[in-house]
Parts: sequence; C-alpha cells; structure tokens
Amino acid sequence: MELSVSYEEKTLLKRLDWNLILVILALNVIGLINLYSATHGPNSKEVESLFVNQIVWLISGWSVFFIATLLDYALVLKIGYIVYFINLLAIVYVDFFGKIALGAQRWIDFGFFRYQPSETMKLAMIMVLAKVLSARNTMGKGMGFKELMWPLSLLVIPFVLIMKQPDLGTAMMITAISGTMILFARVRKHILISAAILISFSLPLAWKYVLHDYQKNRVLTFLSPENDPRKTGYNALQSKYAVGSGQFFGKGFRKGTQSQLEFLPERHTDFIYSVLSEEHGFVGSITTIGLFCILFFLLIRIAYQSRDKFGAMLAVGVLCYIFWHMFVNVGMVIGLLPIVGVPLPLLSYGGSSMLTTMAGLGLISSVAFRKYLF
Amino acid sequence: MADYVNNPDESKEYWGRYKYFYFFISMTFLTFAIRLWYLQIISGNELRDFSEKNRIKQMKIPAPRGLILDRQGKVLVQNLPGFEVVLSPQYISNLEELAGHVGPIVGLEPEKIITRVQRSRRVNGPFALIKLKENLSREEVFRLKRIHLETPGLEIRETILRHYPLEKNGAQLFGYVSEISKKQLPLLNDLYKGILKFEQGDIIGKSGIEENLEKDIRGTDGVSFIQVDAHGRETSLKNPNILGEKISDQDATHGNNAVLTIDRDVQEAAYKSFKKLDRIGALVAMKSDGQVLAWLSEPAFDPNEFAATISPQTWNQLINDPFKPMRNKVIQDHHSPGSTFKPFVALAALEEKKITETQIIYAPGVFYFGKRPYHDHQKGGHGYINIYDALERSSNVFFYQLGIKLGIDKMYDYISLLGIGQKTGIELAREVPGNMPNAAWKKQYRGEEWQEGENLSTAIGQGFVNTTLMQMTLAYNTIGLKGKVYKPYVIQKIVDQEGKVLKENFPQMVRDLQQVQPNGVKISEHTFDIVREGMRRVANGDRGTARFWKIPGVQMAGKTGTAQVMGFSADQIYANCMSRPIHMRHHGWFVAFAPADNPEITVGVLAEHSCHGNTGAAPIVRDVIQAYFEKYHPEMIADGMKNIKIKKVQSAEKAETTEDE
Repeated sequence: MELSVSYEEKTLLKRLDWNLILVILALNVIGLINLYSATHGPNSKEVESLFVNQIVWLISGWSVFFIATLLDYALVLKIGYIVYFINLLAIVYVDFFGKIALGAQRWIDFGFFRYQPSETMKLAMIMVLAKVLSARNTMGKGMGFKELMWPLSLLVIPFVLIMKQPDLGTAMMITAISGTMILFARVRKHILISAAILISFSLPLAWKYVLHDYQKNRVLTFLSPENDPRKTGYNALQSKYAVGSGQFFGKGFRKGTQSQLEFLPERHTDFIYSVLSEEHGFVGSITTIGLFCILFFLLIRIAYQSRDKFGAMLAVGVLCYIFWHMFVNVGMVIGLLPIVGVPLPLLSYGGSSMLTTMAGLGLISSVAFRKYLF
Repeated sequence: MADYVNNPDESKEYWGRYKYFYFFISMTFLTFAIRLWYLQIISGNELRDFSEKNRIKQMKIPAPRGLILDRQGKVLVQNLPGFEVVLSPQYISNLEELAGHVGPIVGLEPEKIITRVQRSRRVNGPFALIKLKENLSREEVFRLKRIHLETPGLEIRETILRHYPLEKNGAQLFGYVSEISKKQLPLLNDLYKGILKFEQGDIIGKSGIEENLEKDIRGTDGVSFIQVDAHGRETSLKNPNILGEKISDQDATHGNNAVLTIDRDVQEAAYKSFKKLDRIGALVAMKSDGQVLAWLSEPAFDPNEFAATISPQTWNQLINDPFKPMRNKVIQDHHSPGSTFKPFVALAALEEKKITETQIIYAPGVFYFGKRPYHDHQKGGHGYINIYDALERSSNVFFYQLGIKLGIDKMYDYISLLGIGQKTGIELAREVPGNMPNAAWKKQYRGEEWQEGENLSTAIGQGFVNTTLMQMTLAYNTIGLKGKVYKPYVIQKIVDQEGKVLKENFPQMVRDLQQVQPNGVKISEHTFDIVREGMRRVANGDRGTARFWKIPGVQMAGKTGTAQVMGFSADQIYANCMSRPIHMRHHGWFVAFAPADNPEITVGVLAEHSCHGNTGAAPIVRDVIQAYFEKYHPEMIADGMKNIKIKKVQSAEKAETTEDE
C-alpha cells in the first residue's frame, strides 16, 4: 500500500488530464473578464460585488474539482442514491418554503449563499442514472419497457417537483440530460417509436394545461419577437441587437452599450453570452463556443478511455449537462430558441451553477485520472 | 466495484455510440457559427444602428423667439426661462405609481394622467413625449425634482416661456404663441416650404405679429444628442469616445428681433384711458407717415396664459365672450361710420362744386324726401348754416342735401380714393375690406337699382357703408395731409442678434389726391383746407361736438360719429341711449388729427356701446394725442399751459350728449 501511494504521488501530476484543466481555465478567464464588464456599468453599483463573489465560487469550484479528482469516482456508486434523495428532500423543502424570486420558488437562503437544489439535482440525476444505466446489460438489443421503468421513475419525481416551482428551464434540462443518457444506453426501437408518437400527441395537451401563460408567451415571442418589443419580446430583441451590433471584432471591453447601459436584461446570468458577443464580436463568440466544443471532445475522449461503463456513463452525463446548457443558452441568446432561464456553464454568474459544473467536471477528471488503473 | 475494475472491456460496448455525439456537437457548432455570422457580419451594420438608436436620444433645443420691441427699443414681448414636465412613455415602468406621485404635485388627477399616457402610447407610439404641464412654479419644480430619480419616464425640462409684459394691452396686435395643432401642421409646412419645418409640439405664433413674423422671429431649433440607459436616465460612459465622432450637437439659433413702429408709452396711455373710462372697442394711433404708434382692441385676452397651458375654462370664457376679446377690432370688424363719414361727403361736394365755402343751406330738424321724413339728431335743427357749421355741429339735414346733389357714384369716386371699402394693406392677417357702395355694386350684389333715398343715408354714413377703424383713421390722416395717402405699417425693421438690420420698412406714399387720379378725380388743396377747418371747429368751435376735450397748446381736428347697432325709429333714437341694455347701445366714433394746422398724428377710436362719439371716444383720442405731444413736443404743451390761463377743462360727465348724431 505504501508503495502504491508513493507511486501515485509521483505520477499525480502526470495522470491529471491537463488538456481538460486548461480548457476549463480558458473558459474561466473568458467568463471572469466578461462578468467584470457585465457587472461594472455606469449605473450598476448593486451588482458590482457579484464579481468578487464569482471569484469565491470559482476557487471553491476548483477545490471541489480537485477533491473529486482525487477521490475514486467508484465512491459515487455508493453515495449516488443518498445524494439523490437528500437533493430531492431539498427540492420538496424549496417547493413549500423556498425563496420566491422572479415569480418562482427556487432557492434556500443560507445568507451568504442562495442554494438552488434543482441545479445540483442535475448532477445527482447523472450519478444515479449512470449507476442504473451502466448496470443494464441488454446484449446489444437496447432497453425494453421493464428496464426503463426505474430510470424513468428516477427522472419523473424531480421533474414534477421542479415543474411545480415553476422552473420549466431546469425541468427541461434534467429531462434532456437524462433522456440523452438513456438513449446513449440504448432503447429498443419500438419503444422509441411509440415514445415519439406519445410526445407528439401530448405536446398540444401540455401547451393547454401544463404551461403557464408567461411560458407560452416566451414561445410565442420567440416565433415573432417584433410583435411586442416592449414587453415579452424585449429580451429577445435587445439580445439580438447586442449580438449583432458586436460585428466582427466587437465594440471592445466595457464598451458594449447594450450591456453597459442596461438594455440587456439578466446580463450577468442568462444573457452573459450577449455581453460577450457585443464586446468581442464574431471573433470572441466563435472562440468561446469553439472552446466549448474542445471541452466536449475532451469529455468524449475521457468517456471513451474510461476503465468501465460506469465511468463512461458518468462522463456522458456531465457532457450532456454542459452541452445542453450551452446549447439552450447560446441558442436563446442568438435568437434560435425561445427565452428559457438557463445559465451558461462557467460563464454565467451563480454559485450553484458554478459548483455543480466544477463538481461534475471533477468527477470526469477523476474518471480520466483512473483510466490507466487496471 | 470489483466488477467494473475487472471488466475493462465492458466499456467497449459504448465505443460505437460516440460518433453521434461528435456529429451532433459539430452540427451545433456549425449552426451557431452560421447564425453568428448572419447576425454579426451580414446584419451587423443594421443591428448596430438599432443599438445606437437605443441609447442616443435626440433632444430638440428650441430656439428662443426674437424679441418684439417698440420704436425706441423698449420691450413689448420677451422670453423668460421656464420649466415644463414631460413624460416619455418608453421609460415608464409603473404608470399607476408615477401618476399617483406626479398628479398631486401638478394638480392633475392621476386617472387622467394614466388615460393620457395610454392614449398617447396607442396613438403616437411609445417614443412620443407627453407634455404634462408647462410653466411650472418653483415649488412644483422642486417637488418634481425630488421624485425625479425614482420615477423613470418623468422629465423636467427647461423651456423658454414667451412673456408679454403689457399683458392684455395690445394683445391682439402682438398675438400669442402656443403649440402647433395637428390641423395646422401640414398647412404651415406647405406654406413655409423650404423655409421652415414644423414638427408636432412646436410652439408657433397663432395671431398678430407673432403669426405674421413667424419666419423672421422663429429662429432655428438646435439638436442635442444625449446618451441614455435603458431606464431613460442620462448616462455618461466612463470611456468618453464611445459617443463616436459623427454625432455632434447643434446649437439653436436665436430668432431675429422685430422692431415695431409702436410707441410703448403711447400704447400704455391709450390702454390707461380705455380702462379709466371702462370702454370696450378699438383704438389706433398713427403718425402721419403711416407708422402705427398704438393699437388696442378691448376687451382683450392675456397672451401669457396661452404661453403656458391655457385652461379650458379660460378658453371657453374667451371664445364665448359676447364682446369678442380674441378679435382684432382695429381691422377685423367693420361698422357704419355714421357722422365720421361727413367730411368725406363734404370733400366730394366742395370739389364737385355742389356747394361752396360760403353757401348757406337751411337745415331744419326734419327733412322730407318724397313723403318720407329724414330726421336730424337735434330736434330743432340747426337753421341756416354753411359747410363749416354743418361739420362743427354735425348737421344731418345739411348732408342729406349734399347727398342728393352728389348722387352715390360721385360720392364713390371721391371717397373710395380715401381708402374706404378697401384693405389698407397693414401687415396683419385677416383684415376686412369694409364696403363703399355705388350703383353698380348694388346692382351686382343686391340685384336692385340704387334708390335716391339711399343717397341720404349714405351721406351721413349709414346704409351700405361699412368701414374699419383702420380705414377711417387712414382717411382722416389723408385729410390732415391734404391728400397724401400713406400706407399704414407697424413693423419697422427686423434686426438680428448682433443688431444688423435685415429688413426695414419706410413710409410709403400711395397717392396724392391733389393730383388727378386714374378715375379722373382730384381734390384741391383749398377743398381740404375748408374741410380741415370744419373739423378743427368740431374740437375747438363754440358749438363743436367734441369741444369739451382740449389739449393745452395743441389743437385737434376731427369728427365724432355714431354707429347704430340696430334700427330704431325716430323716437327711439331720441330716447336716452344710456338707458338701454349695453349690447343695444350705439357705438361711438371719434377720429382726429393734431395739430390741426400741421398734423403729426392721427388717432381713431371706436368706443363700442358707448352711445356717443363725443363722450365715448373723444376723451380717449384726446388722452392719446396729449400723451404723444407730452412725450415728443413737451414745449408745445408747456407753452399752451402758459397761454391758456386757468382755462376750465370740463369733465366728460358734464358734457351734453345729444348734439351728436
């Protein structure tokens, strides 16, 4: 044992996936520069302190990252369900006693930190699904109805609770992440087909009975934002102006009028990418999503090289987590998708998002760390 | 755990599935890149424009209108700094709250503010400003400024307030300014095409000199560009060059000043005299060369109330007032001239040799033409009198006979040359021409032949004759100058802010009646001398109808007159006019020039519903002429005071009032 420890210590630095760390760091730097601009407009006294907060989150995030890296991710197999159920309890608590913000109950207020359990739920979901799905051995045929029951139940419970808050964005995110993981684990064709039929029939019903008016408005506005430029279309339109007015090289650091003069709503959280596009133009925008793509490819490589199915499934889950957030957030900012309150990982301001993302990446780093351990 | 560590090959089951991820991620990157290219490169310029419009607010800097000054540079109309409160709907975040805060301060009901904002949003869109109240008091400004920062959409703006220090005095001459109406906007833009461009919300001259000189005194509005944030607050970015170089402010250009021929002192003397006697009606005083010295129309409005927002109550009061304060009665109303017409008939009769200087005519109390009796205003008549007596005492019967001898067309030939029945051409808008009839006119417009009897009524200024006060004053001025007809004017010059004269008007003689005119008629100097002497006696003779109003050292020459507002029978005419309801009383005329032998100034007064020319109008004319000479020829007044020792100046109350027709 003593020997192996000294061996591990010697090769610790070598075994770390430095590419992963560097890409994350690059996105962190872009995120901080951008957040500084977004929180330091001429009239933004009340958000200036957020920049310092974010640095604290970032340091905490990296701590979590390295702790997770050093721990064997096999530990997740043991504590996955515990994390999941504690998280579920937290969501139940939030649903009934949580802090109301922007018309929805989402947070538990710890004073220094407003904890958003639905955010960490995404990671808990990845943990339990990775455990369940990697244990399924379907002999290449894909999962049948019976095999799908348990993973779907694990999904439906938090989904309903989060929809109740109401937080459509997070609920959709959890569904998208879980759905992708399930699909990756393979589902039988006839089930896929019937699921597709079922969804296409239930969508109109959901539109009528499940969605709130503000959510319907967002979708309608997405389809024609110019109809109502002062109210629901405002965000979409202002974001479009911000992105477009950046042109090729952007207006420059802290010179983006759309963000500095507060025409952009939620500019340090959901619309952080607009700030970036306005101030750093096409060059900055492409560089950023390019870095995300590199990150995704790195994650896929880690999954590929994983020593076991569980590690691979974990890596796929975290990949889905970051990809879907980036997909929906950037898609919304550049006007390809309706307005949904979803943060951009590593760039948006927010402790829950930052810690969850870094913890997830830490897990993957742990998978990468142990790929040579046979 | 051991299972996983011991089965590394198991994870190979997934290997074939990663290609879907690669594919989907690449497609996403491609789609986003295309979209970004489209937004930032293809639509970049357009969207940059939109983002610029977002933050750059164009603010109009209204140009101060030029001042209006009197002939000596005294201020008649000026500008004062003021404040107004406007709302910009695009920045209003909570309309109810705003209305609740602002309403009580400016004295408007919050509900009304809400409906106004909603209507404006609907009709004019969210970017049109709504002027809530102009001419704010200091306290209102102070209270609004306190809530200004917490109330997005509320703006307090400095304005230039037009100020009329003379208030109601001469209001119709100077006019007033107020916001351009929707109806006027296209009309004025058409009228001033290429010279001026009006926009909604512009303040324009609506009447009088303000309207007439719009293009001279208006000035050019400036523009200022300010940067605002999403809440409409003015913001400076820390980086100064963000505003770019192509946008720069443009200063407003002050309008040119207008110098009028008006003399503020004479104007004020006229107003004082009107007020002292509590008269309504009109007054115009002009120098012999046509320069208008004073101009009054009573009752009047206070133009200062228009410069601020006029209340609907005040407006209704003004337009429903039976005595028409909005009307410029000097040129916009015409009346029968009554006996003030007689000197014109005298000129025609003398020149046509229908009567001579010394010829005596019997003028009893009643004159029968055919079977119809024509009355003199004095029951006993005047007996045997000559032309001087007839003018001095204003004998109707004497002039009836001149009317018969002359006939309408001869009267027309002479009298129209004096300008009766024609616009005088004064600069102000909406002048009416009045009417001087002749046989052809009646045939054309009434479809009837001229009746002999109508010569009688015309000869004493009744019937179809209608004249404006401006015409009468000009005609008397012509008699004073023995035939020189001048064009009246009130705008002396337009001067820019550096004092450079841009435009100047000079006295302009239109014709000299001592020369033969196109219609073959002229009036000799001798004829003028006779009539002038008769007019001098009106104010100075022992039996002159206006003999009670004299100025020490200056003799006036003039004529009184009465314009009937409705037909009365002979008995009613003799009945005491003053006992009738005010709107049924006659108008009194008095027009005079002075000094009688070498006139410098002519003053006409129409005293509405004052019953008589002598008591109603003459004292005002006297006051104005006296004020003129006290200012410009004090030595004449002083000499007069020395010469006339303890001369009793009888008061207006004691004057006999029946002598005047």
